[in-house]
Amino acid sequence: MRDPENATVEVELPTDFDDFWAAGLADCASYPLDPVLTEMPTLSTDNVIVYDLRFTSYGGLRIAGWYAVPRAGNAPYPGLVTIPGYISEPTIPKEWAELGYAALAIAPRGKLRSNDVFNPGYPGLLTHNIVDPNTYGYRGFYLDVVRAVEVLLDRPDVDNLRIGLQGSSQGGGLGISTAALLPDVIRCVAAGAPYLCGIMTAPTLTRSYPYEEINEYLRIHPKDVDRVRETVAYYDGLNFAPKVQAPTLIYLGLEDDVCPPETGFALHRTLTCEKTLHTYPHCAHHAGLPDVMRVVEDFLAEHLTPGR
Amino acid sequence: MTFDAYWAAVDDELAAIPGRPVLDVVPARTTDEATFYTVRTTSTGPYRVYGNLSIPKGDGPFPGLLITPRYGSVNNIPHPNDRSRYVVLGLMHRGQRLADEGFAAAYPGLLTMGIDDPSTYIYRGIAADCLRAAEFLMGLAEVDPARVAVTGDDLAVLTAARRPGFSTVRVTDLLFYRAMEARLKSCMYPLEELNDHLRGGSSTSALSTTLSYFDPSQHAPAVAGRTLLAVDDADWCGSLLSALPDPEVYQVTHLDGTDNDFLDAWLAQRFGVPAMSKFVA
Repeated sequence: MRDPENATVEVELPTDFDDFWAAGLADCASYPLDPVLTEMPTLSTDNVIVYDLRFTSYGGLRIAGWYAVPRAGNAPYPGLVTIPGYISEPTIPKEWAELGYAALAIAPRGKLRSNDVFNPGYPGLLTHNIVDPNTYGYRGFYLDVVRAVEVLLDRPDVDNLRIGLQGSSQGGGLGISTAALLPDVIRCVAAGAPYLCGIMTAPTLTRSYPYEEINEYLRIHPKDVDRVRETVAYYDGLNFAPKVQAPTLIYLGLEDDVCPPETGFALHRTLTCEKTLHTYPHCAHHAGLPDVMRVVEDFLAEHLTPGR
Repeated sequence: MTFDAYWAAVDDELAAIPGRPVLDVVPARTTDEATFYTVRTTSTGPYRVYGNLSIPKGDGPFPGLLITPRYGSVNNIPHPNDRSRYVVLGLMHRGQRLADEGFAAAYPGLLTMGIDDPSTYIYRGIAADCLRAAEFLMGLAEVDPARVAVTGDDLAVLTAARRPGFSTVRVTDLLFYRAMEARLKSCMYPLEELNDHLRGGSSTSALSTTLSYFDPSQHAPAVAGRTLLAVDDADWCGSLLSALPDPEVYQVTHLDGTDNDFLDAWLAQRFGVPAMSKFVA
């Protein structure tokens, strides 16, 4: 019988972890952000203005997003980056703009509109170059989310002191990594059913995708297991967690077959910041949806004060 | 054009186009339990669509399961639990990942592509893709023709209505059902695409006309199999339920572990195979 709350999930911290990510951030900084926003009248409403967003990220790739702001409100607004799940495309975040946020829904590389150059496919992203941390597909993907925050920092209609992150599954995992890479910027993180935590443990606990991609990869390449473990350690949320300074909300489904709850509990244990954990018995990867969204909205509102 | 004439034309187009399926084994997804294949076959257009097919090892025939595509660019690969019990085919319709050579669907955008005219609506072709997949699955020797199910959203209802042989239908989501009313409930996608399209100058009557060909309540009377409808609001689904000849309702709990297990067990019981939870306790 599983005991998710007390299970041991261990990840080795690479000795050059900080240098590795500093190099990635330095690469990003070598490119002008060059954000281009194009207003989209038919996507906009009486209450919200929607923009198509493009900006430059790691490796010089142009990355897309949707930017939505209140049509009538008191700018500057709190900024919110919403991060998509593994198989999801970012939807236009009108509902967050309706609540008073300047909301940016990022389409990291490989997602539609950001896949002209890098397109590992789905399935495929999780194991793309997984034997090499320097060329692993997720490297640019992680940094694209950081760059999305920098887009908000560049916006005159965003309050730089009120920027938060929200996402579930992959969006939850990347909320953690982004908050760790921008500890002085991010004011709060809402992370549901966080993926990419305990990356080598998770495939031993489930046969559901996307972690099943790792089982498939190792079925064909069993000798690569140590190289895979070495690579994903650089990307594991458990290694980012101690660096997060922002208040963080974690919510978990206790029967989550996609992101095993053992890994979510491990993330919560590893966080040293102010943190809140909500667990939902009999819930799987929805992790309490739809009811949990009220908890998420309240958490973000507490820290980001939309409508102030 | 009448509803029947519209869909008869789709059937005629499909019948005139050989599927010419090509199967390739995927060693990484092949296990002691099942052999995994990619499938490429031709639908109307002509357009090559993609499927993930898994066939259990051992003596068949096995129950068959068609998973119609969700609304989104990516569909999950059939779960190993399903691969161990069913001949399972998961379809990627035209424009979705792996079926996007020549046409990559936009999200948002697909729901309203060509919607101002029923004859140009993208879902006319997508429906044909589902029907082609049904024909392919039912043509496999490993499939027990008495035990074939289709699962998914409205496309599952449409497919079961237009292709005989599905004894079981499991509907877990609705997209086209009362869509012109549902679009007014919130600004959430994908139905917000209808509102976006109307802001661009289209008429509600044009959208209503096109969507009427796809509303599952219009297809429901032709569904022969037992149909499980997982619903949040049974009252809202009243016209669909009353149109289905053999419906069964599951009131979702929003405890998705519980819901997932119920839906799995319902289908397993129908086909005499073991129920399996994706969450291994």
